[in-house]
Parts: sequence; structure tokens; C-alpha cells
Amino acid sequence: MEKAWNDLYMALLYNGRWKIYLEGTGITIAISALACILGIAIGVVVALVKVTAEKKTGLWKVASLLCEMYTTIIRGTPVIVQLLILYTLFFTGGFPACVVGFGINSGAYVSEIIRSGISSIDPGQTEAGRSLGLSQAKTMRLIVLPQAVKNILPALFNEFIALVKETAVAGYIAVRDLTKVSDSLRLRTYNSWPLFIAAAIYLILVVVMTRIQKQMERRLARSDRS
Amino acid sequence: MIEVKNLEKSFRGNQVLRGITETIHKGEKVAIIGPSGSGKSTFLRCLNLLEVPTAGQIFIDGEEITAKNCNVDLIRRKVGMVFQHFNLFPHLTVRQNITLAPVELKLMSQQQADEKASELLERIGLLDKADTYPNRLSGGQKQRIAIVRALAMNPEVMLFDEPTSALDPEMVGEVLDLIREVAQEGMTMVIVTHEMGFARQVANRVLFIDEGVVMEQNEPQQFFENPQNERLKSFLSKVL
Repeated sequence: MEKAWNDLYMALLYNGRWKIYLEGTGITIAISALACILGIAIGVVVALVKVTAEKKTGLWKVASLLCEMYTTIIRGTPVIVQLLILYTLFFTGGFPACVVGFGINSGAYVSEIIRSGISSIDPGQTEAGRSLGLSQAKTMRLIVLPQAVKNILPALFNEFIALVKETAVAGYIAVRDLTKVSDSLRLRTYNSWPLFIAAAIYLILVVVMTRIQKQMERRLARSDRS
Repeated sequence: MIEVKNLEKSFRGNQVLRGITETIHKGEKVAIIGPSGSGKSTFLRCLNLLEVPTAGQIFIDGEEITAKNCNVDLIRRKVGMVFQHFNLFPHLTVRQNITLAPVELKLMSQQQADEKASELLERIGLLDKADTYPNRLSGGQKQRIAIVRALAMNPEVMLFDEPTSALDPEMVGEVLDLIREVAQEGMTMVIVTHEMGFARQVANRVLFIDEGVVMEQNEPQQFFENPQNERLKSFLSKVL
């Protein structure tokens, strides 16, 4: 028992090691948050291009084809390989490579989530909007998207929870994220406490995200109450 | 008011409308009847370009809406539409449903639109529902609000696509009463319906569409009492 406490002390408090976990957590959160923003931006654009192209011709079809290639390639290859390619070819730093890499990766999944959320809305809603004289863009923004958000939200949060945990491979390209710093500490403490500490921190992050999700869903359910 | 010339519409090689030529005058109330799958709803939906015709022309107030450079959104402001399944916006309150389009299109200020909405809701006896969401309303209430939502745009024509087909029987009456009232105010109307009694009572003219063409048309009394076309005769014998 005493040895266990001693090990934990060495892993967490000795020499101010807890600061190292905090730094790692900060990096993990920064990568996740920035990649999430980039992912949503890419995802929304790709989804809108795909949905709009369904009823158009010419350039829209070309754009839609490019978007289709993007989702196929990104979803068909391992994220770690994508990161290594970005890191070796385009970026000198691991951190920007991670933000861009995870952002592009996440965008592919987010676009599919948003696209299916939009197509889950009854076409009658679009017809009603258009028949009142609203443009396609206004109908999408004021009528379809606000309803689609409710269907999109759970899947979107799943994606971002997965994203937070996926960033654990960032150490591969020399980024000192939570997993990487914990694993380095393990080599100094000669016990596995740092890994359990890392696991606990990931768990807390995910629980907090789930809380936020529940709260947003509650707020959006206003019009469902009868 | 509405002029249709040789209108044709195909869906993936399946020709639904096979050349319809028709003129609907200002103030006229035209009822369209016919078997399901006959193309009557498609014809109606072509009139505000929810379906894009494969061939032919449509003019509204002399403007060709089937022309390539026509601004469809501007035309649609003049053409109100009521759907079989209401299509109220479930994420907006009743009042927001009514005011959304007039305010977004800058035809009215929010305050003007709110006043107009209250006035219209008052008229159909649903002012107390202004701030509730559509899912709390009965089918009849939803459809009456859908009608009022279209009226809030001050349209010149109203298109009704089987407005009572999705309703429970006891709610049909209240919706038909409202449509009748709007008709009496002189609105130009095109109504696709299965309610023969209503068509007879409200319409100035009844069209029978089958197999994508207008097979017969007449003023209501002659139409129902003295049908000429064999298909119309057999159709009427089944539904009357």
C-alpha cells in the first residue's frame, strides 16, 4: 500500500510533475478544439455542396465530385498516415500538422453527418419555404438547418469525442500531447501511474463534453414539448 | 392571370403531363379532380415551379415564369400554396410561421407582420395559439394556419394541393369553410381536391385531368350532372 502511494507521489507531485500533465492536456485540448472548428467549417461547406449539387448541373457536379473524392480518400485511409504525410511534406512543426490533419480528417466525417441530417428533413419543409418566395439559401438557413441541427447534434458530439481521443497519436509526429507526456513520465517513474492519470484526464474531458451535449439537446427540444 | 401552353412534364422518362393548355382568369376558382396518379398535383406544382416543366410555357400576369432568366422567387410571392401535409415549420411558433417570409423578404417590418398575423389568427379563432408550436395543434388547426401563412404574403393566386386529404373527417369542415371564405373575397384559386361537393359549390369551373391531359372541363353543374367523357363518367360513378 505504501509503495502504491509512493509511486503515485512520484508520478504526480514529485518535482512538480503535475504541471507536465496540465501542459499535455492543454496541447490535447488546443489540437481538438482547433481541429473541431476546422472540421465543422469544412464539413458544412462539403455537405452544402453535395446537397445543392443534387439538383444542379455543370460546375456544381464537378465540385460535388471533388467533395466525394475528399470524403472517400480521408475516410479510407488511417489518420496517422495522413498526419505523417502532412508532417513530412508540408509542415515543419508537429502542432500545426496535427491541427490541419485532424481538421481535414474530422471534416470528412462531419460533412457526412451534416448531409444526412439535412436529408432527414421532410422535403415538404423546403417546398413550403420556397413557395413563400424565400430563396434556396434562406430556406436552408432559416428552415432546414435549424431543424437538422437537432438530428445532427448527437452524431456530431460522438465525432468530437472520438476526435479528442484520436489526438492521442499526435506523439507520433513529435507533439507533446497528454498521451506523449504521460508516456515519457512513465519512463522516469518506472510505474504505470502516469498512464492511469492520462486515462483519467481523457475521461474527464469526455464526461464534460457529454454534459454540454445533453444541455444543448435540452435547449433544442423546446419545440418538441407538448 | 395564369396562362399555360402545352405543358409537359416527365419524371425519368415517365410522362405525367402530356400537353395541357389552360387559361385561368383573375377571380376564377378552378377545381381540379381526377384519379390518383393522373397528374393533377403535378400540374398544380408546375404553376409555381415546384416542379420544373419538361416542355411548354407558363405565364403569370403576362410574365413567362418558365423563361430561363425569370426570378422564380419574385413570382412565388404572388402565388400562395397550401399543401396536403400542411408543412408548417415545426421549430417556429405559429406567429413566427406566419411572419417569417414577409419579414425576411422585407415586405413588412416585424411589427407590421405581427399585427397582420394577429389579425389573421383572430379571424380564424386561433389567436390564443399564436405562441405555441405546431405540434400542439390538431390537423384542422394546422391546415388553417398554413392557409393563413400563405395569405400573409398577400398573394394574387392561391394553389391548394388536396388541402383536406390528410385530415381526420371531423376536421375537414373547418378547413373547407375557411377556403370558401377566402374564395368569397375574390381570390383567384386553383384547388386540387377529392371533395366533390366542395368543388361543385365553390368552383366556377371544374377540370377533369386523367393520363396527363384535361379530358373534360365545364361549369360545375353541367360537369357533374351531364358529363360527356366516358372516363369522367366512370370516375364520377365511383366517387359520387
